[in-house]
Amino acid sequence: MEVYLVLCFICMLPIPAKSITTVDCKPAINESLAAKITINTVILQQPRCCFDNLTNLPCTSNTCEIWLVPAVDTGLSTFDANKASSAILSLSPYPTAFTGSSPANYFLTKVGLQSDFPCVSPSPGGYFRVGADGACSTTNCNGFLPQGSSPSFKYLLVDSVNKTVLAETKWSDSIALYTLKDPGTLGDGFAGRSGAMVIITTLLSVAAAVLLLFLIVVLALCCCGGKSKGSGSVVGSVMGSFRIPRYDTHHLKDPAPYDNPAYEKERKYTTQDTLPKTKATSAVNPVTQDTIKLQKI
Amino acid sequence: MASRGGLTWLMIIVILCNAFAAAAGLALFALAIWVAVDGYKLYPISGVSGKDDIFAGAWIAIFTGFAYFCTCIFGIYAARKQRRSLMLAYLIIMFIIFIFECASCITAATNRDYLVGNSNVVKKQMLQYYAEDSTKGREITKTWNKVMQDVECCGTDSPLDWVEYNSTFRQLYGTTYPWPLNCCKRLSSFEVADSQGCIIGQTSTMFTRGCFTHIESVLSRYTWAVSWYGFSVQMFVFFMLLIAMVYFTQLG
Repeated sequence: MEVYLVLCFICMLPIPAKSITTVDCKPAINESLAAKITINTVILQQPRCCFDNLTNLPCTSNTCEIWLVPAVDTGLSTFDANKASSAILSLSPYPTAFTGSSPANYFLTKVGLQSDFPCVSPSPGGYFRVGADGACSTTNCNGFLPQGSSPSFKYLLVDSVNKTVLAETKWSDSIALYTLKDPGTLGDGFAGRSGAMVIITTLLSVAAAVLLLFLIVVLALCCCGGKSKGSGSVVGSVMGSFRIPRYDTHHLKDPAPYDNPAYEKERKYTTQDTLPKTKATSAVNPVTQDTIKLQKI
Repeated sequence: MASRGGLTWLMIIVILCNAFAAAAGLALFALAIWVAVDGYKLYPISGVSGKDDIFAGAWIAIFTGFAYFCTCIFGIYAARKQRRSLMLAYLIIMFIIFIFECASCITAATNRDYLVGNSNVVKKQMLQYYAEDSTKGREITKTWNKVMQDVECCGTDSPLDWVEYNSTFRQLYGTTYPWPLNCCKRLSSFEVADSQGCIIGQTSTMFTRGCFTHIESVLSRYTWAVSWYGFSVQMFVFFMLLIAMVYFTQLG
């Protein structure tokens, strides 16, 4: 009886729960990769040097596993409340993590063994792609994150034997995934006029208008305006092609030089009246005009 | 009447200007042929959008360039003959060609502004038509594949265009590949060098700059050939026609 009572008393003593250590690490995006964030995947940096300073672990680096918790909205607090549970790995399977009326909003997926991520990385460019398994259906698969959500991440150190969480990092900042924008929202209307186009258009339009104007003016001046003006500047317009200011008409009885009236204005030569009267000028005798007598001058 | 010496000088000037304009017209003809042939094979980008007047302007410039060449030779003949009727015919024909060439320059410049003023038109076209199974889709897919491989670029402004926007490619092929495999570097055997690295976006395995700079520079090059060179020919022809009109008024 006393033994029974002692045993009961011992049983009632609170068993100290193994507390989960929080290491000073924060998962971050791998900035060097172009596809670091898409609509349903995120590429994180590997959890190096996060859990290496812990002591008194029940597993070695060859048996300790590193797991990842992506969580959205309420999932952070839900996970933090449940993380001490021994069945945490299967408490929220991936297929139902984000669906249903009150989803858990988190899931767990295995990243690798702790020995896979030594502090000094042998080769650079390590990454871990969350969502690499796509639309999968096992409990702990690395499936797509909900589109357009803003998940936060946390790495866990899990004992592979007990399947309990030994240590965890801090929650990362929430990383906003892209939501697919509709290309119809790209405004393809007025993109602005370049300076070149304005210059070319204005100068060419002005040049064409000026040319047309001058062409009309020239045509008006030369083809239509020519008839109304005097003929002073036109040679021989009265007498056709005659360009002789003064000529003798040999068929007349009284030959006298004929003054072409077209040259009225330009008379720079002497007329019949102003010619000097010498015998030479009256060489032709109207009486005997058919016989030519040579006279001594 | 103007002194015979002055008229002769004017005739010589008109003949020389016409000879120069004939050469310039022939050069315009050749340059417009280069644009119309489209050595960079970027016609579908303007053709699918319906605004392909850069190439229409080039076709007009082919005809006007050759017409300038022929009419200027006729102009040399008309100036030499010193006959008003010939000079009048020359002036009227040159004016008609001038109007057509103006149209070519202006429309080429305007359409270039619409197409590549900013990257939205080209980006929207790429998202909508790449990988689509229609005539337009096939043309655009072929053009973009060639550009991405030759110029070593991805997307319009950057590969993130494929990630940020919904597209026919995304609808058809899901989210396994963030961008088409033509964005990935290839070996000389045309296989993708590192398809896993390309999917996650390692900069050493894919092209990370956008293709818009190349497309914009090619279409601008075509446009400046047609519209700026056409503009300079037009300015020269404008002053030459003014001199020819003066010569026309001085003729008997």
